[in-house]
Amino acid sequence: MKLHVNLSPDWVLDAEMREYPPSQEVDVCVVGTGAAGGVIAQRLARYGFSVVALEAGDWADSEDDMVSDERGARRLYWMDLRVIGGSWPLELGENNSGQTVGGTTATYSAFCPRFHPSDFQVRTLDGVAADWPIRYEDLEPYYEQMEREYPVAGPAHFPWGKPHGYPYGPLEVSTHGHKLVEACLKLGIPVVVGGPVGINAGAFGKRPHCIFRGQCHLGCKVGAKHSTLVSHIPNAITHGAEVRTRCMAFEVPVNEGSLATGVRYYRSDHDGAYREEFQRARLVIVAGYAVETPRLLLNSTSSRFPQGLANSSGLVGKFLMTQASHIAIGRYSEMIRQYKGPPAQVDSEEFYETDPSRGFARGFCIQTVAPLPISMAKMLAEARGLYGMELRRAMADYNHYACFGILGELLPDERNYVALAQEKDRFGIPVAYVHYNLFENDKRLIEYALGKVIELHHAVGAEDIIVIDDSAHLIGTCRMGFTPQDSVVDQWCRSWDVPNLFIPDGSCLPTQGAANPALTISAIAARTADYIRKAANGREL
Amino acid sequence: MSGQRHARPDTCAKTSQVSRSSVLSQQGHWDPATRQLVLDRVYHVPPIRFFSPQEAETLQAVVDILMPQDDRPPDERVPIVNYVDEEQYKGETPGYRYEDMPDERTGWRWGLEGIDQTSQALFGRRFVALAPAERRQALERLRQGDAPGEVWQRMPASRFFSGTLVGAVISSYYSHPYAWDEIGYGGPAYPRGYYALNHGAREHWEVEERR
Repeated sequence: MKLHVNLSPDWVLDAEMREYPPSQEVDVCVVGTGAAGGVIAQRLARYGFSVVALEAGDWADSEDDMVSDERGARRLYWMDLRVIGGSWPLELGENNSGQTVGGTTATYSAFCPRFHPSDFQVRTLDGVAADWPIRYEDLEPYYEQMEREYPVAGPAHFPWGKPHGYPYGPLEVSTHGHKLVEACLKLGIPVVVGGPVGINAGAFGKRPHCIFRGQCHLGCKVGAKHSTLVSHIPNAITHGAEVRTRCMAFEVPVNEGSLATGVRYYRSDHDGAYREEFQRARLVIVAGYAVETPRLLLNSTSSRFPQGLANSSGLVGKFLMTQASHIAIGRYSEMIRQYKGPPAQVDSEEFYETDPSRGFARGFCIQTVAPLPISMAKMLAEARGLYGMELRRAMADYNHYACFGILGELLPDERNYVALAQEKDRFGIPVAYVHYNLFENDKRLIEYALGKVIELHHAVGAEDIIVIDDSAHLIGTCRMGFTPQDSVVDQWCRSWDVPNLFIPDGSCLPTQGAANPALTISAIAARTADYIRKAANGREL
Repeated sequence: MSGQRHARPDTCAKTSQVSRSSVLSQQGHWDPATRQLVLDRVYHVPPIRFFSPQEAETLQAVVDILMPQDDRPPDERVPIVNYVDEEQYKGETPGYRYEDMPDERTGWRWGLEGIDQTSQALFGRRFVALAPAERRQALERLRQGDAPGEVWQRMPASRFFSGTLVGAVISSYYSHPYAWDEIGYGGPAYPRGYYALNHGAREHWEVEERR
């Protein structure tokens, strides 16, 4: 199949993509093409496996399908129905869910810090949450690989977690970033500038450098911002992988030996008409992110797995997590113009680790965030109950706001979960029900962290400070662990129940740290790919 | 950059009528996909197809309170009701539904009916017949979640007000170049990008804020 997709102004993915008939059994069928799916498809194709990656969304041409318009970007998000509930319901859609080649990375802000070594031993160190079955050192080489392949720009010396440096120089920051730097310096809080962020400060291959358009969440028309669409998928195709778009997976069937036999899906044409197909595969990799992955497994029931595939533990869908991304918006007399440059420019991880004197476990980061006009107006309306001329007047100050965000670790809890709702989508597949609550440790962490960003605004003379309640990222729901009873997958993201099923996406993380998760998800996927290669050579698969 | 792709068009729709203090004067610098999208929004206002005439009338009266534009000449007002209608006509949703809310389209029908129920209960008249202060009072009851009316037994008034109603009005208004002009936002910046990153500086082509 001939592909012709603009990935940047000067780079067309002009390739003859290999196509497999669904009836032909391939080595690997991957569901999803995001931070995990895009990377593992590329790795396994390079290692010589035959790979088909199913993507519910479509190719997004950077010239024709991506726009510089906040309201026009919706075709890149996952806008299919999900039902939300709990005491702190998580708004989905554009906030955290992509549906396009590249998955959610197509529209994420690409802030890419690593997790800290402590993240892998939270139970041991803090007596809460869970330990991971792997350590920081197990992921470290894959962090290094991903930082070169995304690639990640950042400081030469990054002082937190295990100190390290970035292979590409930091991105220039705008007035907005300087404001947070100035505030941190006033309060003596260490801070790093211009990364770690997956955005090119200089050209990288055929991808130009950033033009500071500030619309990372709408998809990068420049191709400067990382997404697996520009970082890994072209290479996957070069190595013979097929990315099959507009394919909505609805079941992973198993045979009598409890092995997955492939993926059943609905394949739509451009007019929305669709037909059912079945891709046979020796290995199935589910990488649909923390809502769609458990939905697919829970919908894959059989006599062997009446509670859903790979769910003998009953933990598929459990321990959903999101990070607290509350914002303190400060209004300044001078111009900030926070819409210039990437949303996240500056980072402090000074409060990342547990400090018993604060009265809660774990911690948070401080980063800039930069809402475009619609998002900003919604935030002001919600926080202050504004409408009418009051709202228009508050928005007239748009260029004078600086937004300091927290990224706080909320602890995994079994009472936060993804299940199946009563309703069905247009294919007749039961949709996900997403239930979330904040608990005591979470509330204390948020209160403390907000106090810190408010203090930062005061330090640099904010005239007014408005506090916003928000969440970012989705994690958990198929956690990795030590035994078939305490988890869904083992340390290689391999299902305990179904030995040829792997789940290397954001679902498998037992805890989420206070770092933006994409880099960690990709690192885990790359590690799983290496395991699969080795296991296949050793005939364990 | 392929020259043809981004060639500055000689005749952009209505450019001659656009004031140089408007973002719209910069349309020649936008990429074609963005230009078409934004100009369609401005110059091809969609007709009312989802709401009934009575519903549209009620919504217009609500919008007059939530996003008043009587400070502008009539032909420079953002047609918010039409944009909201188009979204529902096309069946667009935000990608999630609160479990205590009906589906998006039902929510709108119920909500506009509920607003009339509230205004009948409070003032004995339909919402459109209320004075501005009464309209504010009725909507304020919705916002606070204690609005009278049978609909609000089925659907939380505050969720409809803050989520559905205010959200749709805001995304319709602040996606329009007239609103960008008002807040000093330069709008689309691809392919040329920004060069003035420091000291809150304005690009030479950005509009002055009007606050």
